[in-house]
Amino acid sequence: MHPLRKQRIYVISIILIGSSLALFLVLSALSRNIDLFYSPSQFHDSNLKEGAKIRAGGMVQKGSFVRVPDELEVSFVITDFNKSILVTYSGILPNLFSENSGVVVKGIVGKEKTLEAFEVLAKHDENYMPPEVQKTLKSRSDS
Amino acid sequence: MIPEIGHIFLISALVFSLAGSLIPVYGIIKKDELLISTYKSLLLATSVFTFLSFLILIYSFYVDDFSLLYVAMNSNTNLPFYYKLTATWGAHEGSLILWISILCLWSVFYLFKSKAQGELFRCMTIIVLCQIIFSFLAFTIFTSNPFERILPISPMEGIELNPLLQDFAFTIHPPLLYAGYSGLSIPFSMAIASMLIGYKSTLWAGLIRPWALLSGAFLTLGICLGSWWAYYELGWGGWWFWDPVENAAFVPWLISVALFHSLIVTHNKGVFSRWSLLLTILAFASCLLGTFLVRSGVLTSVHSFALDPERGVFILLIFAYFILSSLLIFAFKNKSEGREKSYSFLSKEFGLLLNNLLLVILALSIMFGTLFPMIYEAFTGGKQISVGAPYYEILILPFAIGLALLQGLAMYLSWTKISDTSFITRIILESIIAFILFYLLVYLFFGKVTSGAFIAGILFCWIISGNLVDPFLRNLGFSRLKKIVLHRMGLIFSHLGTAVLVIGIGMVTSYSLQNEVKLSKNDDYVLGGYEFKLKDVNISEKQNYETERAVIEMKDLSSTKRTLLITEKRFYPSAKQATSEAAIKPGFFQDVYITLGDNLGKGTWSFRIQIKHFVRWIWLGAILISLGMIISSIKQFKVKN
Repeated sequence: MHPLRKQRIYVISIILIGSSLALFLVLSALSRNIDLFYSPSQFHDSNLKEGAKIRAGGMVQKGSFVRVPDELEVSFVITDFNKSILVTYSGILPNLFSENSGVVVKGIVGKEKTLEAFEVLAKHDENYMPPEVQKTLKSRSDS
Repeated sequence: MIPEIGHIFLISALVFSLAGSLIPVYGIIKKDELLISTYKSLLLATSVFTFLSFLILIYSFYVDDFSLLYVAMNSNTNLPFYYKLTATWGAHEGSLILWISILCLWSVFYLFKSKAQGELFRCMTIIVLCQIIFSFLAFTIFTSNPFERILPISPMEGIELNPLLQDFAFTIHPPLLYAGYSGLSIPFSMAIASMLIGYKSTLWAGLIRPWALLSGAFLTLGICLGSWWAYYELGWGGWWFWDPVENAAFVPWLISVALFHSLIVTHNKGVFSRWSLLLTILAFASCLLGTFLVRSGVLTSVHSFALDPERGVFILLIFAYFILSSLLIFAFKNKSEGREKSYSFLSKEFGLLLNNLLLVILALSIMFGTLFPMIYEAFTGGKQISVGAPYYEILILPFAIGLALLQGLAMYLSWTKISDTSFITRIILESIIAFILFYLLVYLFFGKVTSGAFIAGILFCWIISGNLVDPFLRNLGFSRLKKIVLHRMGLIFSHLGTAVLVIGIGMVTSYSLQNEVKLSKNDDYVLGGYEFKLKDVNISEKQNYETERAVIEMKDLSSTKRTLLITEKRFYPSAKQATSEAAIKPGFFQDVYITLGDNLGKGTWSFRIQIKHFVRWIWLGAILISLGMIISSIKQFKVKN
């Protein structure tokens, strides 16, 4: 075979092998690291098992925020004004966390459909609302 | 009145840039020298008017002209004057004007630097640049005009510049990042011009190289500053979040790095010429796509400015125009002969081929992860997901290892075929010795060597052996060393920078200590050889914010040296926003990083205390990388054909 043609075949096969390895890596990494988002209603309609890792979001229900006195443990309820989820969390809350404002939590589904959060994200300024929460609330008011 | 002048200047710039994209084209078709020669003055006029309107916008901020909606939204009278100036690019509209002004600067700089290049080539390059400037000016004027008035009743006081942005690093982060982004328009425009004219690939590759390097350097600095800003300003102590907008800057960076590596081969050997052309298009496309992601608000991000679908559609149109037309030109007008030459598996060509393969596949995979939530939502009828940071972390590791292994060999690879392969054994030996040293040091200090530190250590030793230790050992003697350093300085700096970056990342992810603790007054807490004692918390009011201030005494348990650290939580009433000011005690080998959390009642407060080892090495590495790129680009400007 002509040496240049041989070289071309080598280069193309390296590219093909490289891309398929990368594709495999992308798909396997993706399948393990997708966090599905649930609104409180979707959360209760779903058959999520205890221990599943999810994201959920909604408004922090007024009057639901409780802190274990003198401790880092807190609990609060997020709602889409239809259904709600009880969330427990231990740690420092984001600066703009407050009742009656939008929040997204990442966490593990606990017993009796509660959520043990390991990360709480609040909006970072007064005008900002996490898009998922906005959609959730909007679809509620539309229906 | 003055804002109207600014608006008129902006429209004039639009008209001149339109003229600059059309009249010289007509001249080329009609072969009319006079019409062709208008391109210089039209570009200069566009640039001058853009710049003047930018200055007027800055002035409007300076004099608190709240009749302008944009000023009223992003500034107020309490803001210190230097932040008023930087508030100009604190949100969408102003940052667009900044973007265009910087692109104009690049274009004028190109005009001055390109006097030795063919007249037709310069003219065509400028035409493409004028088209880019025109489309962004049109975008600004029709969808995001910063000179829009609130009349007849204008507010007496403005809302505030986002407090997170009232910061020194933020002042220069956007200009640097934009310099990198818009700088990639120059290689793109030059590539289009050379395709249309049919330049030889060794010629245009040489002309484009310094521009690709220089924009890469700015992109590096811009990303580095953004990372540093996020580290100290957001109060989490992280330096990279895989936020969509970070990815939108990281992807063009990867592609620009691939581009100037590929241009080395095209310039010297004439091969990979189609690939290099495609990369200039891809680099520019990724910049436009990045802009689209940031400006349209389709993705959840810290950086989302305004959620406006109309803007998204406009940018998509710009994107479609430039990418489709450039791909058409690539398909039909690309006369640059695809020369093929044979080279062995152990050659510079092959090494750079692998480098490009790794960089581009990595860039595409990151882009895929960033866009996947949108794709998923579209196909599942609105199911929302997010792709977590672990996706990117798993993904990047094999690519980083591959790239670092190639880097170690970079100094010694020669064209076509390497006859003497003894350097490989030497580098392996040297890196083994270096790694044993590294292992011992890490073991002595930390008591264990984690897998992350292990990998980072191997890569670090490998790169420094190939780029520093071996070349220096082999070329002892001042004159030989001087020759090597002068000849390869850019490469050495950039590759060593990567080594420093890699070790920084490896160490900070392996050995950082973090804990969230509650402290009352005079309570103490021990972490990483330090004792932290809460001395006091007080509340006070400042010019434009209220603040809770905690004073913590840090005692080094080995030397009993005491340091006072202050961490704050600020509330900005006009922006209704809170920020954390972390207490940071920086050091070459470690940072101590404390953020004030919540008031738990009964005089107890929560704190997040972190000790971050080698975190500074990440930014030091990035600075070295960009320094190397700047050195190389200066050299490339000089050796122009």
